[in-house]
Amino acid sequence: MGKYTLIITEKPDAAQRIAQALDSKGKPKKVEENGVPYFLAHRDRELVVVPALGHLYTVVHERGRRNYYPVFNFKWAPRHLAERGAKQIRPWIETISKLANDAEDFIAACDYDLEGSLIGYCILKYACENKEGVAKRMKFSTLMKSELEKAYEEPLPQLNFALIEAGRTRHEVDWLYGVNLSRALTLAARRWSGRYSTLSTGRVQGPTLNFLIGREKKIRSFVPTPYWEIKAEVEIKKSTCEVEYERKRIEKKAEADAVVRACTDKIGEVKEVSVRKFRQKPPVPFDIGTLQTEAYSLFGYTPRRTLGIAQRLYLDALISYPRTSSQKLPPIIDYKKILTALSRKPAYKKLASKLLEKEELKPREGAKEDSAHPAVYPTGKLPERTLSEPEKKVWDLVVKRFMAVFGETAIKQSVKVRLEVNSHNFFLRGRRILKEGWMQFYKPYVRAEEVLLPPIKEGETIRLKRVIRDDKFTNPPPRYNPSSLLKKMEELGIGTKATRADIIETLYNRRYATEERIVVTELGFGIIDILNKYAPRVVSVKLTQELEKKMEQIQSNKEKRENILLEAVEQLKPQLEQFKEKEGPIGEALSNAIKRARMQERIIGNCPTCGTGTLMILYSRKTRKRFIGCTNYFKGICKTSFPLPQRGTVKPMGKNCSSCGWPLVRVQIRGRRPWRLCFNPDCPLKEERRKRDEMQNLQ
Amino acid sequence: MKCRICNREAVEKYCELHEKAYRSIVQKYDDWKRAIDISWKEYLNELLKNSYTGSWAKEVAERLMKDGDR
Repeated sequence: MGKYTLIITEKPDAAQRIAQALDSKGKPKKVEENGVPYFLAHRDRELVVVPALGHLYTVVHERGRRNYYPVFNFKWAPRHLAERGAKQIRPWIETISKLANDAEDFIAACDYDLEGSLIGYCILKYACENKEGVAKRMKFSTLMKSELEKAYEEPLPQLNFALIEAGRTRHEVDWLYGVNLSRALTLAARRWSGRYSTLSTGRVQGPTLNFLIGREKKIRSFVPTPYWEIKAEVEIKKSTCEVEYERKRIEKKAEADAVVRACTDKIGEVKEVSVRKFRQKPPVPFDIGTLQTEAYSLFGYTPRRTLGIAQRLYLDALISYPRTSSQKLPPIIDYKKILTALSRKPAYKKLASKLLEKEELKPREGAKEDSAHPAVYPTGKLPERTLSEPEKKVWDLVVKRFMAVFGETAIKQSVKVRLEVNSHNFFLRGRRILKEGWMQFYKPYVRAEEVLLPPIKEGETIRLKRVIRDDKFTNPPPRYNPSSLLKKMEELGIGTKATRADIIETLYNRRYATEERIVVTELGFGIIDILNKYAPRVVSVKLTQELEKKMEQIQSNKEKRENILLEAVEQLKPQLEQFKEKEGPIGEALSNAIKRARMQERIIGNCPTCGTGTLMILYSRKTRKRFIGCTNYFKGICKTSFPLPQRGTVKPMGKNCSSCGWPLVRVQIRGRRPWRLCFNPDCPLKEERRKRDEMQNLQ
Repeated sequence: MKCRICNREAVEKYCELHEKAYRSIVQKYDDWKRAIDISWKEYLNELLKNSYTGSWAKEVAERLMKDGDR
């Protein structure tokens, strides 16, 4: 092979698609060396398209041992030298280096964002030996052939160094915070207890956990207060309707009782019928955050899962680049072409045709912008493979949202009827859609329930059929779920669109948080307690926000990397010194928190026998075998115990058996699928299963 | 001094976390009394039964029931 252009992409799938798009026959040759695939394509010249595997380089400690802090000297190094389990990176770098030797030109074709720019830069600088200055940049938002060809024909003359600098700074600052604070925590606990536990925190992780704890504290110390609502029903022309009492909340029980007495079986008069029309504008296009929120509320997918699905759809060229914070759809994407292409699918034909009939296609856009990419939109390409159910759902959601933004304003009508009964006012409300507008394009994802009322005129009399007092209590603030937490992080401006979902996942992996409706664990409390006491600046949301803003300014050349790194070191230094000084008490507090967390993880639930004790996973002193026992055993009250499998891990599920109501545990043995275990020997489900097995044996 | 409930460092009778719950219990008693004429003991009992009561508030209420003080 003679001289060629080396095109570097972020992932193997993207490399294949780019090679296919650029090869004049659409059939590039796939070569594999040491398990690393790359593609040979021919166009105006020979092209070699080689993928990375995400980040091949990372920030590491320049020299020294792993078990001390503070560490402020760092360098960029291949990931396989820094991380366990990154062995596959070595052949990857070797292959790229070898290909770079004979390459004449270099083009970075990684995703056009912070991470993608940094991935391309590191490969060009380190694996290709300082080619970052001569390389060109392909910029695209979809993996469609036409867009890739254009990006290749008209590349940017050089890399976007401001974006790279911003990405580099972010990784370096995160490393400084993560390594130092995590080592400080881990070493303090280890020196005190002599036992090793991985404890970590980071620049974004700490503040995120901190505001989760703020909510958790409110929930755990919440004291409800009673209040009452009046519920009533009326019968109008043989249909029963619910009516609302004029006061949403009544704070005194006696007052609520008085209303019930005054209105039960009384006839009221319709005093007022007010009709109001209102308009509802179409939704705005999806940025990654709103897509994640919508997918969570509609399908229950976590933000990370949605991002993963969207990434696969992008690599299949079905949707545009998903890691975007833009809510804009510029005309350059060619709305008509996309809609025409989508109309080839029968399910979209009618809707797309309706939009294509319009004289002008103008999307409703949101306020958020992203200089690198437009909002998420379907490319118009139809799937070439069978999509999985979740992929189908997310793709359909993106398609329908895209169509909905071109729809017309919906018109709704609300009717409010005021009914006066014995000097008390009740309201009857109705809602109907007069003009569907954009809603027809966003079905079944649109939330609009109609409540149709029978015709009612002022002066009409209506009997209250049923009036009851409803006993209520004030509720604690709701727990965050992964989606609302992501939204909150976005609101506060901490983390980036690419990292937020991973940070939430880390909180679960580190066992600082559990359950879908996030509950902070004892360990999470322990970590934040200590950080608040000894290094309050590193968990401060405000300080993280400020740092984020400054890092963003690097992208527009308004701030310098060196200043930010210096600031980070200056912030960390005194905090770490204090940490070191107080290592003893910190270690003790952390070890206690770990102990409490381990204890909490062994609690199964309430004892079904004595009702007052707690069932826990215990270990026999004699045999060292594990079993489930009641804590009241130690008080001599309850001797309830159940055997447990001795192999694998056993964890409480936090759920009860659907048949007998006893708490369930989850058993996982390496190499086997985990299963749920109801340890109630008399569980009806077990009996059923036994009978079924017997029947099968007989058959 | 240690917290009467969880053995953490105490602010007064309780640690910072349980102290917050304790204050909330005392403060909300007035609202309960206004809403339904209820004694302190009945009030604590109601809190223990209520599923919205936070876990620390329940622990404090239980402790107050046992100690019989306020």
